[in-house]
Amino acid sequence: MDEKTEFQELCLTHLDSFSNYALMLSRSASEAEDLLQETFLRAFRSFGSFKHDLNFKVWVFKIMKNAQIDRGRRLRVRPAEDEWRGDDGQGQDLAKEVLLYPVPLNPEETLLRRITLEEVREAIRGLPHVLREVVELREIEGLSYQEIAGVLGKPVGTIMSRLYRGRNLIRSLLQEAPSADALKSRSAYGL
Amino acid sequence: MVCKVARSKLFQYMDGELPEEQACALESHLAACPDCRRLAELERSFSERYVEPLRPAPTPQRVRDQVTRFLDALPDRRPAAQRLPAFLRARLLAGLALFVLGTLLGVGLGKLLGHGGERPWNRPETSLLRLADSSVERHQKLARGILPYDIQRVAPKAAEQWFKGRLNFNVSLPELTGDDLVLLGGRISNLEDLEVAALHYRVEGKDVSLFIIPLEKYKTLGLGDSPKFKMVNRQGYDVVVWASHGAAYSLVSEIGGRSCLVCHSREEKLDLPPGSRVHDKL
Repeated sequence: MDEKTEFQELCLTHLDSFSNYALMLSRSASEAEDLLQETFLRAFRSFGSFKHDLNFKVWVFKIMKNAQIDRGRRLRVRPAEDEWRGDDGQGQDLAKEVLLYPVPLNPEETLLRRITLEEVREAIRGLPHVLREVVELREIEGLSYQEIAGVLGKPVGTIMSRLYRGRNLIRSLLQEAPSADALKSRSAYGL
Repeated sequence: MVCKVARSKLFQYMDGELPEEQACALESHLAACPDCRRLAELERSFSERYVEPLRPAPTPQRVRDQVTRFLDALPDRRPAAQRLPAFLRARLLAGLALFVLGTLLGVGLGKLLGHGGERPWNRPETSLLRLADSSVERHQKLARGILPYDIQRVAPKAAEQWFKGRLNFNVSLPELTGDDLVLLGGRISNLEDLEVAALHYRVEGKDVSLFIIPLEKYKTLGLGDSPKFKMVNRQGYDVVVWASHGAAYSLVSEIGGRSCLVCHSREEKLDLPPGSRVHDKL
């Protein structure tokens, strides 16, 4: 199989993943299509350096993330991270979150509600961007912590922290009365 | 291990990301603590029911078709340098030496070999049509408002300033020369793999898009200098392509030569291709 055919097959095999990630990184569907094409072009140019024992999906995600960062830099769009102060502990969101979720929320109430998969997807879409990105890369794309760290260019500790917060926020969003349930959950565990 | 620590490690454990030593300690705790064990079982049920079935949303067929076409149009050989096995490198070096020799002798080896290894964009007979098709596709999106502006309702000079520093080529925009000519907005966009400045105008109440292409990229399309204005009609749209003043342009509209008012005054004499009717309506 020649190089171009191999590249085409790999791209089309993972197209759902790539188009979803492009949509998550973009402001509109049209912009996502632009990003997708730019990513494939960059990836094809570098395909010779791709090591076949690595995960192609992870490799392309990283290229796409860089392409989006480059585009944001040109447009001088403030990165989403700037709007989130959860990692450095200086923001109010983190203070509130630490108070509410010192341990994982009890999943029992969510299980009892018999929610639908669409509700779960909606809850993920409702997360702050930086949490959503990590949660989707883990829960939907199945990437390891190390792979996510590689895509986002962040330390593994940051990924773990964002994933932990994201998952707990999803549980909170899926519960009917988040704050009351969160408090009940805490008291149920003697916290 | 106390309960609070055990529960804080639960996600990592279930993801298979907890170091072995800590995983063993957690398993010991779960075996001894019914509350934490129940929480772990609930988490596993939650994950099996709601997380594991999650898959990326299917790509719309239109996008899949578009991507398939884009991938098909990629060159057969990657433009970037590739690490080749030693015997192939030797052959490549030999080929290069032959090419240099041929060039020195005034015989282009490429001419002898045809266009086999070139990118499709480089073939003049197809590159104009592809540039036009891509311009029309972007024009339609701008006109329908589904391609958002990066800047809007600004004067040409302000737009030039905005593009400066964001693109690695100079964007020079004509002044607006009539009440029936409005610059609606602009953005950085792509015509296939060419990064361009995209401008959306309204001329006499009609949508007109002007795409500004870096000259060195335009030259790789092999379109040549004559005729200066190359006009094609694609999907009902008039597309005019030309190079001038250190940049190249692709202009798309449904109003033929009247779209040229974006750049030219009505009095200006133009270098038209023989038989072209693009400026007839000026």
